[in-house]
Amino acid sequence: MELRRLTKDGVLTAVALAIFTVELQLPELAPVPGVKPGLANIVTLVTAFTLGPWDALAVLIARIVLGGLIAGNPAAILYSLCGGLAAYLVTVLMRRLVTEKQIWVASVFAAIGHNAGQIAAALAVTGTPSLLYYLPVLAVSGVITGAFTGFAGQFAVRRLGKALRK
Amino acid sequence: MAKTRTWVILIVVILLLSGAASVFLYAPRSPAGGVARIYVDGELVRSVDLSALSGEERFTVETEGGVNVILAEAGRIRVESADCPDQVCVRRGWLSSSPAPIVCLPHRLVIRLDGGGAAVDTEVG
Repeated sequence: MELRRLTKDGVLTAVALAIFTVELQLPELAPVPGVKPGLANIVTLVTAFTLGPWDALAVLIARIVLGGLIAGNPAAILYSLCGGLAAYLVTVLMRRLVTEKQIWVASVFAAIGHNAGQIAAALAVTGTPSLLYYLPVLAVSGVITGAFTGFAGQFAVRRLGKALRK
Repeated sequence: MAKTRTWVILIVVILLLSGAASVFLYAPRSPAGGVARIYVDGELVRSVDLSALSGEERFTVETEGGVNVILAEAGRIRVESADCPDQVCVRRGWLSSSPAPIVCLPHRLVIRLDGGGAAVDTEVG
């Protein structure tokens, strides 16, 4: 039982890291820090909706720490962690509020939470309140990217849910 | 469980509100220029009066993280080059009148404009 769980979490982390690494190669979408597709969140979403909150947390943290090292940008780990944990909390909360056909809704709110968490971290680091001006732009990008990753995640849950829950 | 339509309406409302706010915040407004203040770690390290500039002024700001080369002209300022990993600050381009600052998160560097004398200064940091 435990071995099965460990294996599933490990495979999901590997998938998340692969997606993350591919996303690193994509060109920047907009010259605003934090605007990116966040495709690796598909895995967090799928894990949360199939295996549950604890597995999702483990996969998330492993992906962020290892991903930060792969990207050669350990300073970014702090921002990713703040954003990732905020998105995670929103996802866990939304899990109780949405059906399997509304997973994309949870993803939209998680993406907005992700960007708000990143701004909070940047605010704390730079001590610059005017960073809050980026919140609306990041909310717009969060809705769009969140819906996209959400539908991808929803599709994955529908197709892989049974196998993952076994 | 709420109906999907309820969620869609909520999301569209958020999208419209934040979209309108973004356009408002990024839209150029007059007068351009003013004073550009450069902060590292939340502390003011240099300010340039863009309205008083006639030619180019190029200078470097060294931080713990690395170096940013900043170019100021009459009414506008930009990060010309930087050795940060993401280059977001360089790609942001010219800042001339938007209240949204140029940010280089890896170097904890922020460039913001404080408009002419009429601008309300609600600075906290």
